[in-house]
Amino acid sequence: MAMKNAKNVLPATKNNLNFLQIDHKIEKILGTAGVIVLPSLRAWEKFIWTRKLFNVKPKEGYFVWVQKQVDFPLYTCVAIASPKIQQDLSNLMVVEEGLKVKANVTCSAAKNHLYGVHKAKGRLILKAGASLDYNHLHRWGEKDLVSPDYEFILEKGASLKYEYKNLLPPENLNFKTSLFLKENASSELRIIINGINSQIKIEDSFYLEGKNASGTASLRLVGKKNSRIDAVSRIIARNEAKGYLDCQGILVDDKSKISLMPEIACENRKAQIIHEASIGKINEEQLLYLMMRGLPQKKAIDLIINGFLKA
Amino acid sequence: MENLIIENLHVKIKEGKEILQGVSLEIKQNEIHVLMGPNGSGKSTLSQVIMGNPKYKKTCGKILFSKKDISNLTPNKRAKLGLALSWQVPPAIKGIKLSDLVTKIGSKNVRMEEADKLLGREVNVNFSGGERKISEIYQIASLNPKLIIFDEIDSGLDINKIDRVAKIIKKEFVDLGVSILIITHSGTILNYLKPNMTSIMVNGKIVCQNREFKKIIRVIKKYGYEKCKECTACYKE
Repeated sequence: MAMKNAKNVLPATKNNLNFLQIDHKIEKILGTAGVIVLPSLRAWEKFIWTRKLFNVKPKEGYFVWVQKQVDFPLYTCVAIASPKIQQDLSNLMVVEEGLKVKANVTCSAAKNHLYGVHKAKGRLILKAGASLDYNHLHRWGEKDLVSPDYEFILEKGASLKYEYKNLLPPENLNFKTSLFLKENASSELRIIINGINSQIKIEDSFYLEGKNASGTASLRLVGKKNSRIDAVSRIIARNEAKGYLDCQGILVDDKSKISLMPEIACENRKAQIIHEASIGKINEEQLLYLMMRGLPQKKAIDLIINGFLKA
Repeated sequence: MENLIIENLHVKIKEGKEILQGVSLEIKQNEIHVLMGPNGSGKSTLSQVIMGNPKYKKTCGKILFSKKDISNLTPNKRAKLGLALSWQVPPAIKGIKLSDLVTKIGSKNVRMEEADKLLGREVNVNFSGGERKISEIYQIASLNPKLIIFDEIDSGLDINKIDRVAKIIKKEFVDLGVSILIITHSGTILNYLKPNMTSIMVNGKIVCQNREFKKIIRVIKKYGYEKCKECTACYKE
């Protein structure tokens, strides 16, 4: 029954899924040559070295270990399809030295009023020179509570492109992510959230620990229908490193609130961090322009917001 | 009849200053009508008022399109009736490709060679003056409108580009019988698009109308716009 309910949340590439969990049940798990995919608990039991990375014994979630270069993206999907499910996931992904990997990760609710809880703690290790393009897509129901807490460890020369996109947010989202960058590691973080009648807390932190590490964080936040978004975006340079913080918000109605708090700190006098932050309303000239092209006000606003979230 | 009739139109901005002071104007079906006037005379305001910009408040008068009073319609409803405005300085819209916008707004497939290289770019973002004009014409062609207002379509373009833009306007609109109102300060484009009627606006009023646009341009070049009020060769309101 849960599988039937979840059909509408499965990605178009469902046949290529490496991991599919619905509610608490693993529906599919598929490793491939050079990629080990296991339930997190099984990995804890089988690979002793993972225990210090999981911190605590996992209840559910996935372990992905990329050992060899693969020329296709990895897909995982975790969904809630039944009422009042409380997921407590521990995910671990390890990419070995010098490998280039793309991962598409989806977490979602199959229906709107399931009152689900999705708690996910994740750790991703990119070994020296590894590269990861990580697309994290969330789609939730109006009454769900969601709290992803991810940590990315980038070893020497590793690079990460991480996009978190949430266009259908839950009632309550507590998004936390921390990125630790060693020497010559680089990362682009992009957080895109369309707040619709949601309480959203964001805390993203870059720790530029190695020489010549570089991190860029872009936040694009939209507050609609009585939303409250509080974002703390942080870059701390502990070495000769570069950071750039770009936080922008749009408030669509008078009942929503966005608070952006950029926090930058240099612990090395050769480090350089720049930040830009702005919050504003919908640009009236753009709105008028699109309405004069025949779009009703609501469609014109949606189009401007789509553009803002993409830019 | 798909004509636009403006009767005794008085318009204020919200701060209270009256910008249009009794404008009366008719743009007939299939007509190329030119509106000229000095900077700040109210030409662009008139175009925005015709399209329904809520920044301007109509205090008196009527705007009729195809015999229907459109004064209280929202801009999108006016566009759906077949009115279109080519903006003098259109806003940039980040994150939206021109091709995606035209897919959303268009009711007609348009193939325009000049627009090809713009389709994959964000609407008006870092467009040159000429690219903005092409983008405007391309979008408007996709709307399949009945009456188009071109606000300073020739401003900031060199002679070759004006020639090109005029040829596109002729092919895409004039030859299809679309009514056109050209707002121009310089009048350069009129050598390429021969208007049927020319009106002169000074201080928020139409002060002169004449079918002979060359005659009016000669007067303007010789004496400036103020002299139009006194020009005996032209109709004086």
